[in-house]
Amino acid sequence: MRRYRKTAFLFLTPFLAVFIAFYLAPVGYALYLSLFIRKRIGVGPPKEVFGGLANYIRAVQDTDFLNGLKNMFVFGVVQVPVMLGLAILLALLLQQSRGFFMKICRTAFFMPYGIPTAIGALVWGYLYSANLSPFNQILQAFHQGKIDFLSPAVVLFSIANIVTWTWTGYNMITLFAALQNIPSDLYEAARVDGAKTWDIVRRIQIPLLLPTLQILFIFSVIGTSQLFTEAFVLRPLGYLADNITPNLYLYLTAARDANYGYAGALAILLALLIFAISGPFLRRIASR
Amino acid sequence: MNNPITWRSFLPSPASRPSFPVLFWAIAGYVCCQLIPTVGAESAYQEPDYSKLKPESGPITLEVWTWVVGLDKAARLFEQAYPDIKVHVNNVGGGPSEYQKVQTAIKAGSGGPDVAQIEYDFLPSFIATEGLTDLSKYGAADVKSFFVPWTWGQVSPDEKAVYGIPQDSGPMAFLYNKKIFDQYGLTVPTTWDEFAKQAEKLAQATGGKVKLVDFPPTHAPWFISLAWANGAELFKAQGDSWTQSLNSPACEKVLDFWADLIKKKYVATIPDFTAEFYNAVGSGQIAGSIEAAWGPGVLAASLNDKTSGEWQVAPLPQWSKDQPFRAGNWGGSCDVVLKQSKYPKAATLFCVWLNAAKGPVLSNWTSYGIFPASSSGLASPDLNQPDKNPSKFCGGQNVAQVYSDASKAVNVDFAWSPWFAFANDDYNKQIAALISGSVTAKQALDAWQEDSLKNAAADGYDVKGK
Repeated sequence: MRRYRKTAFLFLTPFLAVFIAFYLAPVGYALYLSLFIRKRIGVGPPKEVFGGLANYIRAVQDTDFLNGLKNMFVFGVVQVPVMLGLAILLALLLQQSRGFFMKICRTAFFMPYGIPTAIGALVWGYLYSANLSPFNQILQAFHQGKIDFLSPAVVLFSIANIVTWTWTGYNMITLFAALQNIPSDLYEAARVDGAKTWDIVRRIQIPLLLPTLQILFIFSVIGTSQLFTEAFVLRPLGYLADNITPNLYLYLTAARDANYGYAGALAILLALLIFAISGPFLRRIASR
Repeated sequence: MNNPITWRSFLPSPASRPSFPVLFWAIAGYVCCQLIPTVGAESAYQEPDYSKLKPESGPITLEVWTWVVGLDKAARLFEQAYPDIKVHVNNVGGGPSEYQKVQTAIKAGSGGPDVAQIEYDFLPSFIATEGLTDLSKYGAADVKSFFVPWTWGQVSPDEKAVYGIPQDSGPMAFLYNKKIFDQYGLTVPTTWDEFAKQAEKLAQATGGKVKLVDFPPTHAPWFISLAWANGAELFKAQGDSWTQSLNSPACEKVLDFWADLIKKKYVATIPDFTAEFYNAVGSGQIAGSIEAAWGPGVLAASLNDKTSGEWQVAPLPQWSKDQPFRAGNWGGSCDVVLKQSKYPKAATLFCVWLNAAKGPVLSNWTSYGIFPASSSGLASPDLNQPDKNPSKFCGGQNVAQVYSDASKAVNVDFAWSPWFAFANDDYNKQIAALISGSVTAKQALDAWQEDSLKNAAADGYDVKGK
């Protein structure tokens, strides 16, 4: 037994080394940094002194950070169901159809996922600029007003649109693969019993997709908490609030304001929050 | 002006009383030199004595981070002059994207460059990290006289330590499309009053289709340069504490003026440096732009020479005809040496040479529109190259002359603060509210002042509003 354990560790070493160096160590360092606050005397450089939980206390009272979290929840509640709903619909449609056309559709839907997020966001940035946007040109052709996609009231939805565009195809492929795994005798039995297509979808396919959907849901929720690139790329094109996403807010705290201690505390809090949300779900799925 | 014949040579010897002719010629000679500065300057492009800046011995490679396109060509010239020093130029992205990398490298203690380009407004936030070398330790204080005084004030805020060598500057002027101005019979405004009248005239003549200029809603330093020209000073370090005055009457007067033009839709509010902005300028929807010295070059390149030759540069409009001419500055940057550099002496030498030597200083302007911070560079008649951008973009006009006059009219005492990076972004928030019409100019500035004070105080600065 012990010999096997040694061998197991030997095989795990490459993973563990990378996991520790690039995951656990940075988390540990962030935790360490988050315990220090900056004290200034005069106009000179600050002294880093041990502050205990001072950064955490500041964070839970920081309305900008809390509003960032609120944005994240609004985003999650609106975008995740829309994206997963679309993904289910597309997966079912693809499963029903056959042939060359289906293959083209499958590739086309999946393609946005293959485009680097930053590039995708740049392209959308052009599509969103008030006067050049083809959407606005279409609206104007119908004598409607212009939409400023980057204005404070709209920009969160503009970002949600980019994320949906990127990830729907990925979720669709995963669901499509899960559909392929449904044994064909189930369909045959249902047909023999007189089930219509809609009955098959409702009584067989959706229930059997649920485990996959749950996993995709959790991944999407975690993805929502990590939203950064789209907002970061759109920032130079207009006014995007520092706290449009919590991740952008803590990035600016570190990289712009050089306040690494506070940024560390924000990061740890955000991680704990996501653990708290996704942990129970993951446990339920794992225990099945 | 760098006078080739020093005034001492006209002084009589102490033993003799000067006779009338001697004094006459002395005064006449002095006056002549004052009257024909270009002739004097041409023969006297003064450069520091680089031999006083001794690099470390042995083979050296300097890592340089910048966003100036073509700096690697200047670096090759430097390598020819100093064969022991190799220079590796790395374009890691403009402004904030570079700062965030440098900031991270300073925190990490390694991985940063030897030399980095930093804009004046962001320099204090780097000084505050204690990651920059005080170049006065390596003889940089001796080259002060070779740079435009206000640019030196930017790199040496306490007038002792020197945190960078001025590279370029961005004094402001009014760039306008002469074709559009002629078409609608507009006159070039010399005061803001006239400016507003022309904006109204153009809006009425075109049914609001063509705007006089753009008010860039996400570039605080653009607004600040105009407040600077109105005598505003935003930050001041006094002893152990700071004062901040983002909502001073001088600032309010400027923003009030623009808020009125925005409300009447006489000016556009398109974010600068975007495809949308260049499209609007290139297609004649915007007739002018208040631009820093580097602006016409950027515009010429970004428009791919579309509308080239149609433009002219005029001095910045003034608030009153009676006051002495005043200009502000937007951007401009210096080259700093990081404390983690192994070769601070060689790096200092490179920074001084790059920004004082005639070759790179002149080619930076004529090739990339980077306006010099070197006094000799500014006075050099070679700065005027009618067949090259940005002069070519302006129909061969001596653009450099307009901007060099503007540079002389920039307030020396203007200083920034370490938390400017925050204030810079917070400005966008307030202006978004101003443009949407939910706040007045005064309310926007008050909120900007308050947010920035709050941020600085949370970071431990002893700062008061003024």
